[in-house]
Amino acid sequence: MAVSPYCTIGPYFPASFVEGGQDLTRFRRASARGQHIALSGRILQEGGAPTRNSILEIWQADANGIFRHPLDPRCGDADPGFAGWGRARTDAEGWYRIRTVVPGSYSDRCPHANLMILAIGLTRRLVTTVFFADEPDTTRDPVLDRVDAAVRSRLFAKREKPDAYRFDIILRGEGETPFFLD
Amino acid sequence: MPAPRIDYQPYDDGTQLARYIDRYPLSFTRTPSAPLIPRPLTLSELTGPAAQDLFPAGSMDLSRIAADAPRATGQLIQISGRITDEDGSPIPGAVIEIWQANSAGKYIHEADRHNAPVDPNFTGEGRLVTDAEGQFQFFSIKPGAYPVLESGWWWRPPHIHFSILGRSWMDRFVTQIFFPGEPLNETDLLLNAVPDRDVRERLIFQFEGTSMGEVNAMGFRRDFVLRGRRQTPALD
Repeated sequence: MAVSPYCTIGPYFPASFVEGGQDLTRFRRASARGQHIALSGRILQEGGAPTRNSILEIWQADANGIFRHPLDPRCGDADPGFAGWGRARTDAEGWYRIRTVVPGSYSDRCPHANLMILAIGLTRRLVTTVFFADEPDTTRDPVLDRVDAAVRSRLFAKREKPDAYRFDIILRGEGETPFFLD
Repeated sequence: MPAPRIDYQPYDDGTQLARYIDRYPLSFTRTPSAPLIPRPLTLSELTGPAAQDLFPAGSMDLSRIAADAPRATGQLIQISGRITDEDGSPIPGAVIEIWQANSAGKYIHEADRHNAPVDPNFTGEGRLVTDAEGQFQFFSIKPGAYPVLESGWWWRPPHIHFSILGRSWMDRFVTQIFFPGEPLNETDLLLNAVPDRDVRERLIFQFEGTSMGEVNAMGFRRDFVLRGRRQTPALD
């Protein structure tokens, strides 16, 4: 059967669908294990203008590298206080703000989070991956390895404070973020 | 019971809207210019939010703010359908979020500057989880058309937005579904940004007839096919 066609999220995604989605560190009244961090940045379009009212969603492993999903053989040990998934909306300056934990590594994947962007003008979602490591040049990861070495550093969050990372997403133009085929 | 391994292929552009749409400027300033990068799918991409426990319960009736409250103004409609994967297997437990304009073409959203009236009896949003057969059913009011004020000419035909969280990060899905026979369907930039008639039809509800009795409503149906096929088990 042919898959259904995507269409843009448009400008009117309800506020209530985003409320509470920015904080992954509390789930069912429990607090997540691991280092709590702020992950924030701006989503910009061609020419560097901010995108207002875009939706960003995140999916990542918990601090021990476990996904709360039945495909993960370690699912039973997933952190009960960590949501794993979150959603945020960009403000007038293009900022999104997420609270999460530094994801753990597992198998051959280094610490990372999956991101997707939905916005006016995008008929489909855009998907990318943000990596949490200090050394873009020596980090090995099977998804990162597919990215041209010249632009790999664009997929690394910048640690601005011990508990705050910044990751800007440039949809198009100078410094364009690498996006994956979806 | 272990979860089945699902195989996800990249979307076939022939089944999807164009990425660049004439007279839709943001499609040109926001679509990446570099080719999208193929990648292996690992556990990280093949898992995803076990969505139903992430959300507070929502309402499947947008047409009133409480079960004993008056109905919103407009044509009462029932929206139903079924969610499957590409094999036709139902996807139970998927979270569906819908949102739409009221019967006058006004959204409950700070970004909506159209000077149409708000309807205090209309919620404008709903959320539910698909049943064991992947089926869903909402009640709502037929949305009105509305102008895209920045464009100077473009009116959106009546449509309902769907956001679906299925089995993984890979089948996360968002779209808009239109109503059959609407004159504005002929000029809508999004509905017409499709390569062929089959794709266009998958963006339009099918009229399912009327119901009479406890609820008097017009019925509209739209089934969705999310990406994903069950992997063929390896032969011993």
